[in-house]
Amino acid sequence: MATLAEKFGLRKASGVGEAGWGHTLIVALVSLIYFLPVLMIIFTAFKPSAQALSVPPTLSPTSLFGLIPDQFVFTPTLENFGQVFNRVMVSGSAAEPTGFDVFFFNSFFISSVSVLLALVIGTLASYGFSRYPLKGNDTYLFIILTTRMLPAIVVIIPIILMFRTVGLSGSYLGIIMLYTAFNLAFTIWMMKSFFDELSYDVEDAARIDGSSEIKVFMKICLPQVVAGLAATFVFGLILTWNEFLFALLLTGVDTRTVPVAMNQAVSSGGRGTDWTLLASIETLFLIPVFLVTFFLQNHLLRGVTFGTVKR
Amino acid sequence: MAEGVKPAVRLSGIAKSYGKVRALENLSFDVAAGRFFVLFGPSSVGKTTTLRTIAGLVKPDSGRLEIDGKDFTNEPIAGRGVSMVFQSFALYPHLTVFENLAYPLREEKVSSAEITKRVNETAAMLKLTHRLERKPNTLSGGEQQRVALGRSLVRHPKILLLDEPLTNLDAKLRHDMRAELKRLHRQFGMTIVYATPDELEALSMGEEIAVMRDGAVVQRGTPEELYERPANTYVAGKIGSPHMNMLKAKVGKDAKTFETPLGKMSPKVPRKTAAAGEAAIIGIRPSDIRLAAKGEKAIASKIHLLEPLGDITIVSVETGKEVLRMVLPEAKATSIKVGDPASIYIDPNDIHIFRAASGQVMT
Repeated sequence: MATLAEKFGLRKASGVGEAGWGHTLIVALVSLIYFLPVLMIIFTAFKPSAQALSVPPTLSPTSLFGLIPDQFVFTPTLENFGQVFNRVMVSGSAAEPTGFDVFFFNSFFISSVSVLLALVIGTLASYGFSRYPLKGNDTYLFIILTTRMLPAIVVIIPIILMFRTVGLSGSYLGIIMLYTAFNLAFTIWMMKSFFDELSYDVEDAARIDGSSEIKVFMKICLPQVVAGLAATFVFGLILTWNEFLFALLLTGVDTRTVPVAMNQAVSSGGRGTDWTLLASIETLFLIPVFLVTFFLQNHLLRGVTFGTVKR
Repeated sequence: MAEGVKPAVRLSGIAKSYGKVRALENLSFDVAAGRFFVLFGPSSVGKTTTLRTIAGLVKPDSGRLEIDGKDFTNEPIAGRGVSMVFQSFALYPHLTVFENLAYPLREEKVSSAEITKRVNETAAMLKLTHRLERKPNTLSGGEQQRVALGRSLVRHPKILLLDEPLTNLDAKLRHDMRAELKRLHRQFGMTIVYATPDELEALSMGEEIAVMRDGAVVQRGTPEELYERPANTYVAGKIGSPHMNMLKAKVGKDAKTFETPLGKMSPKVPRKTAAAGEAAIIGIRPSDIRLAAKGEKAIASKIHLLEPLGDITIVSVETGKEVLRMVLPEAKATSIKVGDPASIYIDPNDIHIFRAASGQVMT
């Protein structure tokens, strides 16, 4: 059977599992500490409200055949997830839709469109910056990055004013444009470094083999930076998917994204924070990004151009 | 042009600068169709820029490039019938060996049945058939080199440009590939322009060699011509191993004899342009120095250093202030030791004479 390294076309030297158990155990422990908050949120999503804040905390959905004492075990339930979409707003009346189906759609639509748009525009731009450098190329790259040098709260003020004036506030177009512009800076810098790494000889070989400039880009350069595209897409998606401040100030009732809606859902009604509801929204919110990252991780790990060109 | 053969490539007065760096300066040469032509010179003399100009990757600042008699100076790359093998191989890393070989054919819109046929033929010829499904990064250096070569040959190019194709291979492979390239040239008969900094490659493969210096050709000719009649000290120093011995000398009062550190030398053929008292450099091939026979006008010397190389030994001898390298067959060298006296003989008709000021040969 082919080892993982062979499967990905890597050389033997970086074999998987070469580190000893001691090192692996330390890393596993650190990873667990990292993952603990996320794990707590996921567990809380499945807890009945009464057990969410109990002391001592409930830690496990199962007693593991009697290993864990009963007071640490909670009774898993799916009820919270139903509450995300339909909930009793006023006590005594029937459950009504919360609108979260729309908010999830908004998050999905706005972030995927803006990240993909930024990826398309940014990849073309970075190829240009890499292969057809302008006079003062670095200056332009620097200017592109300045939007990301200030805290969002500072940048947002002029943007709000501009959006109000032209009527982009609260529209899909407005927030998508804003996210695209913000992702562009990151995309251009990321993709430029990937394009810079490629061997120019390979492109010249394609030119001699009869390829036009467009084909050199599409058939030779782009396939070599698939790993970069995947990485940029994932990072961009995570940033955009979780963005709160711009969404809070520039989306309307119809275009509200989940991070904003989440905040409003759990703090409304003066009943204090509904922790199990919050946790279940968060758990659902985690799934799409988790899946995308999981399916693209092969590309993230893999260096496509590894060892093909002797330097 | 010799034998009335039409030139496949002709460069006239090509100049190219990158910013302030002059890569090519008034470069002119032509290559006869079907010739194995070598561009020889150390790194950064403009060999690669020359090849890239022929391929069309570089647009010259001035001058004219003709391919098959037609002006291609500012024409696009496609349509030149030129293919090129890069020093870095420049394989398409994301494509299999089959697709690498098929790429130029796909760009030419060759039918897929024809592509399969030609790729398989090329792969068989270069012993790559069992590697067709692999990606380039899983191949050895020699295999990558053959894929690069195959990708150029599969198009049946009229002109094949090779940019130091063997530099990245180990010594054994380099030797095999030299023979392989010569065989392919005989088989296909295309014009080859081959750039190399390696003297051995140049002499063993080139039917004709152009020696380059600072972006221009300083001498061109067959390997024998370059070896026997170097036009200047630069070529004399680059061609021939071990290198030519160079000594400072002066033209005698009669303008026919030369006063050298080894004594007066009078070649039979006089150098007509020699002026009495002019500073000169004389060059002596190590192979033109031998141990003196009885009755010959010997030069007394002492063995300075022995470098045995198997069947021959390079012997350095010291005479006066000069150290000269000579070549002895193994059988003659076994009996001598460092410090032994040796009397050597140099035929004055074998020496090369250059002007000290310009380095050009004195005629």
